[in-house]
Amino acid sequence: MMKHISRIASGLLTILTLGCLLGSCTVLNEAQQRRAERLKNKQRPNLYLLKASRASIKIDADALQGESDHYILKFSEDLHDHDKFNEVSERKEFALSALSYMESLYEAMYDVFGFKPEHKVHVNLHHVYQGTTRVATTTSLGKHIVVNGELLKMISGIQLDFPINMYASPGTRIHELTHAFTNVYFLPVWFSEGIAVLMQTEYGRDRSITKFDSLDQHLRLDNNTGFNQLESWQGHGDIADMVLTFWRYRYTYTVVSELRERYGHDFYIKVFALMQKDRLHEKLLGKTPTSFVVYYFSQAAGEDLVPFFKELQFDVQKWEKSDILKQIEQSKARLQTQPRTRRRN
Amino acid sequence: MTKVREKSIKGLLLIPICLTFLYSSCVISQQWSENYASLDGARSNDPLIIDGNLQTVGQSQIIRKSGSLEVDLYVPSESMILLPEKKSVHRVVVHSTNLKAFELMARDSDGEWNIIHEHKGKHQPVFDLRIKPSYITDSIKLVVRSTTDDGEQKRKNLKVERENEVTLSGQVRRGRPVYKVYGPLKARAKIAEIKLYGFAEKEP
Repeated sequence: MMKHISRIASGLLTILTLGCLLGSCTVLNEAQQRRAERLKNKQRPNLYLLKASRASIKIDADALQGESDHYILKFSEDLHDHDKFNEVSERKEFALSALSYMESLYEAMYDVFGFKPEHKVHVNLHHVYQGTTRVATTTSLGKHIVVNGELLKMISGIQLDFPINMYASPGTRIHELTHAFTNVYFLPVWFSEGIAVLMQTEYGRDRSITKFDSLDQHLRLDNNTGFNQLESWQGHGDIADMVLTFWRYRYTYTVVSELRERYGHDFYIKVFALMQKDRLHEKLLGKTPTSFVVYYFSQAAGEDLVPFFKELQFDVQKWEKSDILKQIEQSKARLQTQPRTRRRN
Repeated sequence: MTKVREKSIKGLLLIPICLTFLYSSCVISQQWSENYASLDGARSNDPLIIDGNLQTVGQSQIIRKSGSLEVDLYVPSESMILLPEKKSVHRVVVHSTNLKAFELMARDSDGEWNIIHEHKGKHQPVFDLRIKPSYITDSIKLVVRSTTDDGEQKRKNLKVERENEVTLSGQVRRGRPVYKVYGPLKARAKIAEIKLYGFAEKEP
């Protein structure tokens, strides 16, 4: 009898020991997973801390222009007499530093997006640009080409223009370079600006533009169209209505950031990868409607996002791929009456 | 008895002599490591300060934390370097054209920043600092307290203006003088390079 009891007890003890071992293995596994997650978070690319660039840089003898692997930098005429740039040595030091910094940023941006512009980016530095020292722009030159009998829209050049005091802000550099990277997808203005503010704020840790605490409470409609004011954004700031412009930057950033929070850090990377796979953005001529990007947002999110955008009063319809193909055919017909594209963010 | 005492005295004298000899031979053979800031994977909030090129000049950065100029005025600018792995830092060299006073901080394993060196005084083009005791860390930052350009920056961004009032009759009544702030009152440090060294590891 006693033998029997001791056998049962030893059996129970063995099971208990095994259970403890297995349990501790699970705990260890969880700890390892947490550590891996921490390391992954630590290594997540950000644009606040950059690696030094090893790009080759050449500066002209008069130091009015410099060229590196991905940029061509020029001092515009109104800087030639500026007291900080009127000597060759001053311009040379600045151009070397500016190109080296922009190359580091370019590499970091490529790490984030996984794609890069095809052409060298032209950077023009001004004292005063467009009559002010507070506006920096990215201009993408578009062209139409025929490939295998099909008409496609392409980017033929990218130009960044900075007043020198705006160039001093790393947040502005990130914002404009984001346009240089993403304009290849011909995004609607509101989304293009939203992703640029997201990059400057959440990757570059620039806090000059903040989010709204509620999308519903801060919604503004265009009195003429009845749609969200973001849909009427023609690109860049409206000097005449700075309050509306500032609202647009804040609101679009809130929308873009909201989706990123809901669907993960790599949400927009997935969106761009899906767009790149289909390459329909090259075939859809003219302006890209919101319905087009919402189709890809829904694909990346794994759920229909049309109701989300409808609630925010965007001009959006539920599109399937067949609808996009139909739109492409219609856009080709419309092209006959439209001028060559030149877009400024 | 006296012989034994003599011997022990000689022995006692020999110990510090031997120790001094040992220490000096160690120091003589010790060499500085490569610059940790130029290791592959090192990052900075201005990459120009770790690119190994004294011709490119970076700047200390201000993190805008609040969105309010009034609050952010008091946030000092800083230059941060993140190493790819923890290193024992014994020596820090800073090349700057305007840096005057600063704190050098290192992050410990709990994520806390600790001051490892403080400089208050005159500007030097090169600050060659010995960190005693050495500090094992993967993050170093230089917090800028003052530069030689602060005066110019203050003159540019701090102005005295009068709060004048226009009366009903259209005349201008002189108001009290008020200070108006148009931007940061302290200049950022211009830094060509920050180099971090430990002791070189001996080849096996």
